[in-house]
Amino acid sequence: MSSYFVIDLVNTLLSGLLIGSLYAIMALGLTIIQGVVRIFNFAHGGMSILGGYLTFMFLSGAGFNLIVSMILSCLLMFVFGLILYRGAIVFLVKKPNWEIASVIFLLGLGILMENLILQVFGARVKEIPVFFEDAFEFGFVRINHHDVVLIVFVMVFVLGLNLFFSRTWLGRSIRAVAQDIQGARVVGVNANRTLGFAFGLASAVTGLAGILLASKYYLTPQVGWEWMFKGFIIVVFGGLGTITGAIFAGLVMGLVEALITFYGSQSWVWPAWFVIFLVILLVKPEGLFGRKSASY
Amino acid sequence: MQALWNWKKMTVLGGLIIIALMPVFTRSPYIRHLFSVFFIWAIVVSNWNLIMGYAGIWSMANVAFLVIGCYSSALLSMHSGLPPAICILLSGLITMLIATLFIGLPSLRLRGIYIALLSMIFANMLPDILKIFRYSTGGSMGLPEVPPLYEGITTLQSYYINFAAFIVLLLLVYAIIHSRSGLAFMALRDAHEMATALGISEYREKLKVFALSSFSTGIAGGLYVHYTGIASPDLLYISTFLMAIAMMVVGGMGRFPGGVLGAALFVFGGEWLRMFGLVRLTIMGGLICIFILFFPGGIMELVERLDTRIIQWRSKGLAPPVVE
Amino acid sequence: MAKQPDRTDPILEVSDLDCFYGDLQVIRQVCFKVLDGDVVALFGPNGHGKSTLLKTIGGIHPTANGSVRFRGQDITQAPVEQRVEMGLVYIPEDKNLFLDMSVLENLCMGAFNKRARKHLATGLQFVFSLFPRLAERKSQSAMTLSGGEARMLAIGRGMMSRAALLMIDEPSIGLSPLLKKTVFEAIRQIHSNSEASILVVEQEVDYPLKLAKRIYLLSKGRIVLEKQAGEINKAQIEKAYF
Repeated sequence: MSSYFVIDLVNTLLSGLLIGSLYAIMALGLTIIQGVVRIFNFAHGGMSILGGYLTFMFLSGAGFNLIVSMILSCLLMFVFGLILYRGAIVFLVKKPNWEIASVIFLLGLGILMENLILQVFGARVKEIPVFFEDAFEFGFVRINHHDVVLIVFVMVFVLGLNLFFSRTWLGRSIRAVAQDIQGARVVGVNANRTLGFAFGLASAVTGLAGILLASKYYLTPQVGWEWMFKGFIIVVFGGLGTITGAIFAGLVMGLVEALITFYGSQSWVWPAWFVIFLVILLVKPEGLFGRKSASY
Repeated sequence: MQALWNWKKMTVLGGLIIIALMPVFTRSPYIRHLFSVFFIWAIVVSNWNLIMGYAGIWSMANVAFLVIGCYSSALLSMHSGLPPAICILLSGLITMLIATLFIGLPSLRLRGIYIALLSMIFANMLPDILKIFRYSTGGSMGLPEVPPLYEGITTLQSYYINFAAFIVLLLLVYAIIHSRSGLAFMALRDAHEMATALGISEYREKLKVFALSSFSTGIAGGLYVHYTGIASPDLLYISTFLMAIAMMVVGGMGRFPGGVLGAALFVFGGEWLRMFGLVRLTIMGGLICIFILFFPGGIMELVERLDTRIIQWRSKGLAPPVVE
Repeated sequence: MAKQPDRTDPILEVSDLDCFYGDLQVIRQVCFKVLDGDVVALFGPNGHGKSTLLKTIGGIHPTANGSVRFRGQDITQAPVEQRVEMGLVYIPEDKNLFLDMSVLENLCMGAFNKRARKHLATGLQFVFSLFPRLAERKSQSAMTLSGGEARMLAIGRGMMSRAALLMIDEPSIGLSPLLKKTVFEAIRQIHSNSEASILVVEQEVDYPLKLAKRIYLLSKGRIVLEKQAGEINKAQIEKAYF
């Protein structure tokens, strides 16, 4: 094996790890919503880019620094999620055809968001500045500082989220509502309030993921759909409602995508995602870490 | 039920007559083109309605099937010696095969939402497949010189051919709904165990409907590509897909005229809305949201409610008070 | 040492309660009460509304007419979480366990309401002493429990709430005779060790009859029998069933 091959491979794997961790955090918002109300959030694309555009707006429009812009955007996304839950989801889940109705509603909302953003911000590509400019160099392997910060940030964030769900009363109440809503009620959990919070949280996480992805790549009104579809595949691949599954699947898909992009071409990426998705659905539809349940 | 027959069927008949005589009133090629676009979309959305509303398969890939029909017919007519009319029929078959293989068969094993996801990603990957085989398919540029249905065809002739296809394929949809298969689906929907105990095979019925619908959609694609002379992946943009959904939801999911109504609304209404530019898509998104929340049966549901009102209004004062 | 409750005040008072499932009336003009500190047993054949009655008092099922008063307050329109906070806790027959959580986590969730959170440790100690099997399976997922263990967990979780009135729906249904004994023994201990009043709904007559101070019989959604426990025996109750 030539040394070039090894270097290329290592670089590809590293960038795969990076993409993978971004995909993983992208899938988290979907996982939370799927876990609590069993709906696939088809407005996810719109919500991710909204997070990115809000940050852009605070950065360039209002002149705040990056951290403040990100925090403000996440707070606004949280409120957005709350309003979405109270304003629409509450009604949708009560309908007899709630599954398809929520899919269509959220799709419509996604279009709405994409086009409103298009109106307000225009179609030109926007950039969220890279956090750091330099790069580490280990021999021939080159890692951007930015990438490292992203990976570390995602890891810390995921850890924090895990602690939230396992150690805090609020986090546990969200899990309770997701697992058995009547059981949650009889122990005194206010199901509606908890669900609203979960939505807000999912929305904020989604917005955050959008910001991170935008900082690594770019931001246009259309790019949300791609992120969303990949997010769906990751959620199913990893197992519905499991955070561990989403992380793992995200990393795997990131690596796969990096390998295909480098050794094949960009155009093979989506067919690969499709084939993997089809195989998972036919072989193990509950996903890697998911529970086999009657609903499959 | 007298009222029911009269005003609804009259509207349909009247509409058909107007469409048939339209070229007499205006020679504008633009209007004729608009109608042809309407015919194609009416076919696509009605067949989609059949799959979603009746067979209960949440396939989101019907626009993709249209495009597969376009490209198959275009490539066949350009590389084999066959006349375009035959190519159109063959493209219907090819579309049916691909659709059934990738979406139809998996749908038998998977829950609705997974089919929705699978089909969406199928539609999403199609432009990339076209790019991979760009030497044949022209990649993102498409194929610009697709031969017309026959040499020297005029806009008037195209108009009537498309109109004829519209009528034939919609009659096919109508026939399926009112056939034993249609009844089978209603039985499966209302009393699942009983229906299967009676020997109605859900798998067979679903596959039949899926195959026929994708065949029709493929044919519509073939017709479209020879009419416009261009095969382009632009139809695969998300905006087209969303417009098709809007047509189905606003027209009325699960109700036969819903597809036609929705197509009419968005093709003709869309032209009017084009004045507003990009707001068009925003309005579409908004309409989808509002309708699915408040009028899940679309405009057809409102029509049916209106119908009931008319019947009640007509029979008021005619029938004696009913004794409890 | 448990405080002696005032035995003349009703902790729960249900008046003229009507409940429907759609158009079907399931509970008709039901009136009954539970005195502070008592154990009350509600018997009745299946399908005659016992669970619906408890669900309505618990706040899960809506009230059509009538009123429910808890500790003197009208809670007829109060949401479930408010009732739990006030001390009125319903343990469903369906158990409704959190299957992806461990036994320990399920029990901790039982102490979710603000009053109970402070007493988490003592609560756990008490539950484990009543149900040693649960202590053994502390870190196992609730999904792995047998039917009887799941029932014990459901009751244990309800106990963690430091309720003033615990409403238990068919605690012994589907259990072996040995487990039935364990469960009712646990209920007896809950009653004697805490200030809680208990309302038990059961098909089985023996054990509840021994525990209860007062019994009611629900038939076709109506209260058809109301007696002090000493005034009636099993045979008479069973006769009234049919």
